[in-house]
Amino acid sequence: MSAGKILVIDDDPQIRRVMRSTLTAHGYQVNDTRSGEEGLEELRKSSYDLVLLDMNMPGMGGMETCRTIRSGSDIAIIMLTVNNTERQKVDALDAGADDYVTKPFSTPELLARIRASLRRLPQLPGYADLQPLAAQGVNIDLSSRKVTVHGRASRLTAREFGLLTYFLARPNKTIAHRELLQAVWGPDYGDELEYLRVFVNRLRKKIEPDPSKPVFLVTDAWAGYRFHLSQ
Amino acid sequence: MASVREVIVRSGAIAASRERLDIFDMPKPRSTARNNSRLIIRVVASIAFIAAATFILFRLVPVNPTTAGFLYLVAILLVATKGGLVESTIASVVAMLCFNFFFLPPIGTLTIADPQNWVALFAFLATSLTASQLSARVKRRALEAEERSREVERLYALSRALLLIDTSKSVANQIVQQIALTCEVPGVALYVKGTGELYQAGYTTLDVEARLRESAVRSAVLKDDAANLVITPIRLGGEPIGSLGLSGSAFSDAALESLLNLVAIGLERANSQKAVTQAEVAKQSEELKSTLLDAIAHEFKTPLTSIKAVTTDLLSGSSGTLEAHQQELITIADESTDRLSKLVTDAIQLARIEGGTFRLNLGVYFSSSLINTALRQMKSVIEERKINLNTSDDLPPVRVDAELIQIVLTHLLDNALKYSPPDNPITIGARLGEGGGKVIVYLADKGQGITVQEQAQIFEKFYRGKSERHLQGTGMGLAIAREILRAHGEDIAVSSSPGQGSEFSFALPIAPWGSRQ
Repeated sequence: MSAGKILVIDDDPQIRRVMRSTLTAHGYQVNDTRSGEEGLEELRKSSYDLVLLDMNMPGMGGMETCRTIRSGSDIAIIMLTVNNTERQKVDALDAGADDYVTKPFSTPELLARIRASLRRLPQLPGYADLQPLAAQGVNIDLSSRKVTVHGRASRLTAREFGLLTYFLARPNKTIAHRELLQAVWGPDYGDELEYLRVFVNRLRKKIEPDPSKPVFLVTDAWAGYRFHLSQ
Repeated sequence: MASVREVIVRSGAIAASRERLDIFDMPKPRSTARNNSRLIIRVVASIAFIAAATFILFRLVPVNPTTAGFLYLVAILLVATKGGLVESTIASVVAMLCFNFFFLPPIGTLTIADPQNWVALFAFLATSLTASQLSARVKRRALEAEERSREVERLYALSRALLLIDTSKSVANQIVQQIALTCEVPGVALYVKGTGELYQAGYTTLDVEARLRESAVRSAVLKDDAANLVITPIRLGGEPIGSLGLSGSAFSDAALESLLNLVAIGLERANSQKAVTQAEVAKQSEELKSTLLDAIAHEFKTPLTSIKAVTTDLLSGSSGTLEAHQQELITIADESTDRLSKLVTDAIQLARIEGGTFRLNLGVYFSSSLINTALRQMKSVIEERKINLNTSDDLPPVRVDAELIQIVLTHLLDNALKYSPPDNPITIGARLGEGGGKVIVYLADKGQGITVQEQAQIFEKFYRGKSERHLQGTGMGLAIAREILRAHGEDIAVSSSPGQGSEFSFALPIAPWGSRQ
């Protein structure tokens, strides 16, 4: 049985060859395309668990491809970037990527990221007891990962859902950055504060009535984040 | 008439070029001698007119003294209307004498028998003189009004011409040409203080360079009545930006002031357009450089990615256990890939920083968090080293580009790791600078130290320590660190004594309070 089905979208044939060979050897089912446009077409035809997406590609480009995929799907996306500046990382996450890896990367590192992205969310303590939340015009249905704010419905990606359930299980408690990163992303994470910034903002856009003035997901400066629920 | 106009453009005191420009007509100034002869002709004509009137009244149509007096007054008013004050005054005196000689008894003499006729004669003289003066004044005002109107027309024409100036050519040169052409002055000289250049136009070449400079420096008006020359400073916002010399101009003070304002605006407009063009060119060149560097980075790193993926996969053992020598060979390939990758990263960083294709993204940060982030980034290479951390959260936050300062710290850490023995600790910390306006970040190692001679060279590109040439490195780390700090308005310092180790330190500006991020 395959560990997962991965689509590699990269314009460089050598990288596609290496990825296909390495990932197949590690038990994944791999397909590849050489442009964003072809990748989108392939995603329409077949279902995949994860997309490895190169950021610098001629034509549509990685960012635009990522946005387009994310607008219609909550599939896991890992972006491959050459530039490791903070801005590029944040841009990639903002475009809807779940993670990014800077080129050149080592295969074990990439495999760890892929595993973390495909990992089923851990059964968090008290997760089974969580009740659907309905407060201040916001409805969060945990079974379908659907959020409705004043009638405006949106679906959470797996990572956003993991983050939200971790918060919901610990209402009104400040959770440190490192704890959140390790619980939701995995034990290899802990220093990637930009992930939290971007994902918390993405969550706010989906669950807050006014994302610029959050009432649920509040920042505790220098400490972490807290999910505020009226007692 | 002058048919050819020469324009001399001089830079500084040296005559740089002399070029002939388009041919156009220009009036010469009116000469004083010609004016005098015209006045004499008009005086003679007015006397002849009174003589003719006398002949008609005395010989052809004899009239009584009262009628003669009134008709003389009409004749004087006619003279005053057509001529000036001089002609009408002389005509008044001549008419008074003729009136006395031909019409007041005893006729044929300049004496008067009846004392009442003295009164009539003087009343006649007073009336004719007053009428002459009033008439001349009205005429003068009309001329003045006409002159002002002409000045306004010229200024309007000049302002239109200045608006249509071709900014791809010398603007100051075009301004002097337009002044000479539209204002009809024989000689114009313009000195631009910013460039120190002198521009001239008109058929009269003015030898006024020294005076133009003086006027621009002292912001004073200089007049040379003998040469009919006026030199005035051109001010913008109260500051002199140059000076203008005009010869033979009949401009009123107000018109001259307006002319100077137009020139000032014209020069300033050209300057700002030039600045905008330069900024646009610089921006485009910056964007082009940035795109090129991105493309180069991508092209180099893409094949490196394939190699790295292969070597790391083989080394991870997932493809089966390697023989010892295979393991060694793949390790060499893997380390060389890392080295090449770092070389590309450093070269691109240096090119980006030196080429000015980066902008500081300033934010407010605590020095401790900058240091901790850098240590986290270097986690894999410092794991086995002892690091003494001397930071305090009590230090005020600094205003820097965090990403760039982290690059500085990682280069310094990389340097300390390479140039000090693995068992010796590395100290990294921050303290408040003297005076309290800066936070000093320092990094000290217990390596071999750097000689005084080498201390001056280590920040140069591609310089490698003499005793440590066997170590891997790109020789760009310290140069990059220094350039980043210079972009922040700071610099990097090193203190070292051979055998004792080295300490690198740099200051970071403290952020104004209330702007924490």
